[in-house]
Amino acid sequence: MASQDDEFTMLFQDFYPSLCRFLECLLGGRAPLAQDLAQESFLQLHRTAWGTLPPGEARFWLYRVARNLAINEFRKSHTRYRLFDRVVEAMRPAARNPEQEYETRERKELVLEMLQTLPEDQRTALLLREQEQLSYREIGQVLNISESKVKVDIFRARAALRERWSKKVKVASVGVS
Amino acid sequence: MNCGFTEKISSLIDGELSPAEAREVERHLLGCAQCKEARADFLNLRSQISGFEASLPGEVQNRELAKILNKPAASGARLRLSWNWGYGAVALASIAIVALIIGLSFYQRPPEEVASKSPVPVPSPTVAPSPEPDTPQQKPETPPSKESAPKPRRPAREPKPGEQFARIPENVQPVVPERTRSADAQTMTALHFERAETLLRAFRNVRLEDPDSASEVRYERTRAKQLIYQNMMLRREADTSGDVQIASLLDSLEPILLDIANLPDKPDDDTVRVIRERVERKNIVALLQVNSTALARALD
Repeated sequence: MASQDDEFTMLFQDFYPSLCRFLECLLGGRAPLAQDLAQESFLQLHRTAWGTLPPGEARFWLYRVARNLAINEFRKSHTRYRLFDRVVEAMRPAARNPEQEYETRERKELVLEMLQTLPEDQRTALLLREQEQLSYREIGQVLNISESKVKVDIFRARAALRERWSKKVKVASVGVS
Repeated sequence: MNCGFTEKISSLIDGELSPAEAREVERHLLGCAQCKEARADFLNLRSQISGFEASLPGEVQNRELAKILNKPAASGARLRLSWNWGYGAVALASIAIVALIIGLSFYQRPPEEVASKSPVPVPSPTVAPSPEPDTPQQKPETPPSKESAPKPRRPAREPKPGEQFARIPENVQPVVPERTRSADAQTMTALHFERAETLLRAFRNVRLEDPDSASEVRYERTRAKQLIYQNMMLRREADTSGDVQIASLLDSLEPILLDIANLPDKPDDDTVRVIRERVERKNIVALLQVNSTALARALD
């Protein structure tokens, strides 16, 4: 006889890291803000919708709310968050393996940079597909759009990223030679 | 530059094509270098994006969860009190307990007075008027003796494991609370039992060898602190209304909650094992489950 809090705890443990990652990519980094928004999404779920949603719907509900919160953040001035995140980054403890940490950070920054070049709806659809393995139908439910639009958005996002990626590689190879 | 199939390559790697379409695209791939390259690029992008790791420190998750679970029940002040366990919290809890007892005693007095004048207290065939189901009519006439006293202030002894379970037959409405306790108190007790049961189950499953066990125990400890106040309140209320079984169960639960709440940050194996053994010995998880179900049924 699992209580509602018990079930909520299980959902949170399973899903909070994924939601943080989704938000971090959507926001172009800004991990502290991503964690805040993920927490806010769960808090709203716990206060308002938990227990009323059909089984399995909570995940989609969370993505929808998290995305809306992220969109609200886009509308605000980015400056203060950037400044705050830089301070947080500077205060972060030193890595155990600096080289490895540097590579990981470089790769993360590249991915974030590339994703930021996409329109928000394409970026969200692609992230839900690649990171969360949602089907086109499920993505359509989250974003409230048709499956065919999801298909087109994901293809366009991939095509755009592929093009930019190849340009990056070319620039890098010219720089090396 | 792109072949007309490139969009279908995107759907193919997502598994969104019908079997027939997928076969067609696979056949096309055998002879189209552009599409092969596109597929390799798309898969490379996928690995880059899916390999992205969130910058999430391990301790953040449990802290955030605790915040969310605490927030709806308590705003800032109460949240701080439950964490600090200071004098203010004890004073507030005492005031709340006294207020509840006074409120309940006023609330419950009229039905008791009516019951004492009526020869048959509750003419319901399904209710078992524990503890002496065969002599309900003697109650108002005979002076209270040791055998027939229906509402002792405190339980004479602690019930043995499974005793409550044995007293609640499947097809009979359980316990007396309908007659003596308010629906609010019953609901609160049922919810409290459910929460305590969840807590004890979680505590039973804490793995001490796990490096994260300290944070897990910290969470159980916080929950136990929150439940103690309510346990004290409900026990006194059950005592006042003479609900022996509920009072006894709450009485057994209280020291366990206190022990969990007072655990250190990194408890040693023995301390945790002793608490767990006591929980097992008293069969308290099963009793909580049975009684919360029984109360919920009675409320229905």
